[in-house]
Amino acid sequence: MDPKKILIAVDASDNAARAVTYVAELLGGSTGFLITVLYIERPPNRDLYPDEASWVEAGQAQELRIRTFLQQAKSNLTGQGIAPDAVTISYVPHCQSPVNPAAQQCSIGTSIARDILQVQQQGDFGTLVIGRRGVSRAEEFLFGSVTTKVTHLAKDCTVWVVQ
Amino acid sequence: MTNAYEIISRFDPDFPRKRAGQLLTDTTEFMNITYGDVIDLDGRYFLVLRDEKERSFGVEDPKYWVKRCRELPTGERKILKLVFYERFPVSMGSMEIECFRSPRKEARILDLVRGDMRFMQGYSHDDAAGNNVRVLDVVKGELLSLHVDRLEVDHRTYFFELLPDILDKFVEACRAIEFLHKHGENHGDIRRDHLWLEQGTGNYVWIDFDYTYEFQENPSGLDIFGLGNLLLFLVGKKFCTTFNIPRPDFDGKADVSFEAADFSMLFKNRLANLRKVYPYVPHALNNVLMHFSSASEVFYFNVGEMLEDLAPCLDEIRRGRINS
Repeated sequence: MDPKKILIAVDASDNAARAVTYVAELLGGSTGFLITVLYIERPPNRDLYPDEASWVEAGQAQELRIRTFLQQAKSNLTGQGIAPDAVTISYVPHCQSPVNPAAQQCSIGTSIARDILQVQQQGDFGTLVIGRRGVSRAEEFLFGSVTTKVTHLAKDCTVWVVQ
Repeated sequence: MTNAYEIISRFDPDFPRKRAGQLLTDTTEFMNITYGDVIDLDGRYFLVLRDEKERSFGVEDPKYWVKRCRELPTGERKILKLVFYERFPVSMGSMEIECFRSPRKEARILDLVRGDMRFMQGYSHDDAAGNNVRVLDVVKGELLSLHVDRLEVDHRTYFFELLPDILDKFVEACRAIEFLHKHGENHGDIRRDHLWLEQGTGNYVWIDFDYTYEFQENPSGLDIFGLGNLLLFLVGKKFCTTFNIPRPDFDGKADVSFEAADFSMLFKNRLANLRKVYPYVPHALNNVLMHFSSASEVFYFNVGEMLEDLAPCLDEIRRGRINS
C-alpha cells in the first residue's frame, strides 16, 4: 500500500468536512500525494416514502447535496495548494440507487465501512482518513459506527480519525 | 352490490339497517371510516366494527388507521391496517430516534413470514386508490408480559419453576427475529406490547412490523436491544427499577448498593444486574443481561451471538432447580 495515496471517506456531515480540512491544512503545498475523496451512497430508505416518485425525488435531493459537498471538498483541498490533478472525487452509488440504477460499480449497502475498505484495498490506498462524530457507547451499540468499524477492520493501511 | 346495507344484510341479516354506513373502495380518509362501514377490497368485504386502541399507562389511545373488522362472508375477525404515513420520535431512555410507519415494509414481511406462526399472519392488498391495506388475522391470546406479570408466584418459584419454559419459547422468538435479519429485514419495534402469547398453542407471536428508521451501520442493533429489554423483563418477572426495588413488597434483596453500571445502558433506572437482587440468577445468564447495561464494553452484533450465550443458561437454571 502506498501511504501517499490518501483516501478520505466522507458523507456530507460536519465531521467529514473537518476530515477534509485537516488533510488540506496538513498537506497543503506538499507534492507527491494523490487524494481521493470517496462517498459511498446510502440512499434514503425506500420504505419511508409513499411511492417511487417521492423516493426518487428524495434521492435526487440527497445526491445533489453530496455532489456539492464533494466539489467543495475538492475546492478546499486545492485551495490549500494541493494540485487539482492530485485530487479525485469518487461517488459510489448504491446498487438500488434511486438516481443511479445502472451503475457498474455499486455498493450493496450492507456495510458502508466494508465498502470503504474495499475501495481502499483495490486502490492501494495506504492512508485512510475519516471523520468521527463522537457518538455515545449506547448509540454505537444500537446503530453502529462506520468509523469504529473501519478502525477495527482496516488492514495494511494507516487510519486517521478526525474528530 | 352497491351499498353497505345490501352487503351487510346478505351476510348478517340481523345487523340494524340504520347502523349500516358507507361502502368504501378508497381508504385514504381513514378518520372518516367508522362502525357500520364496509370496506371493499376487490370483492372481499370487511364490516368495520371499531378503531383499534393501544393501551399504555391505563390510557386508551385510538389508532384511527387500524380497524377491527369482520369479514362478511366468513364472519372471521380481521384487523385492517390502513395507510398512515407517520414520522415520530421514539424515546429510548435518554436517546431519541426518528421512526416511520411503512405499510410497504409490513406488507413485505407479511409475505416473508407467511405460514410461520411465530409472526402474525395476513396479506396486503391495494385499495382502489392504491393504498396498501394490510389484512391481518387477530392473534388470540394475551401479551406475554401481562401473562408473566399476572403469575401469582414469588420470584424464586417463578425463576426455577416457570422461567426455563418461558425462556425456551423466548429463544424461539429470538430465532424468529434472527430469521428476519437474515432476510435483510428487521422488526423495528421490539417491546412488550408486540409479543403475544397465543391462546391454545402457547406460541409466542410477534406483531406489528411497520416501524422503520433510516439505515444505520448496524441495522439489527435496535432489535437486539429490544430483545435484551424483553429478557430483562422475563428474568425479573418485571422490570426491577429504582422505584420498585425500595418498596416493601419487592421480592428480592433490596439492601444492596447499586452503581450506575448496574443499570440499563439507556434506561438509567432499570436494573440490568439482576443477580444483585436475585442472587440465584446464574452468572452466565446475568452476563447476558449485563450486555445491555451501561457497564457493557461489547454488544451483541447479531441475535445468534446472543443466543449462543443464552441457550446454555436454560439448562443451568434447570439444574439449579434441582439443587435449590
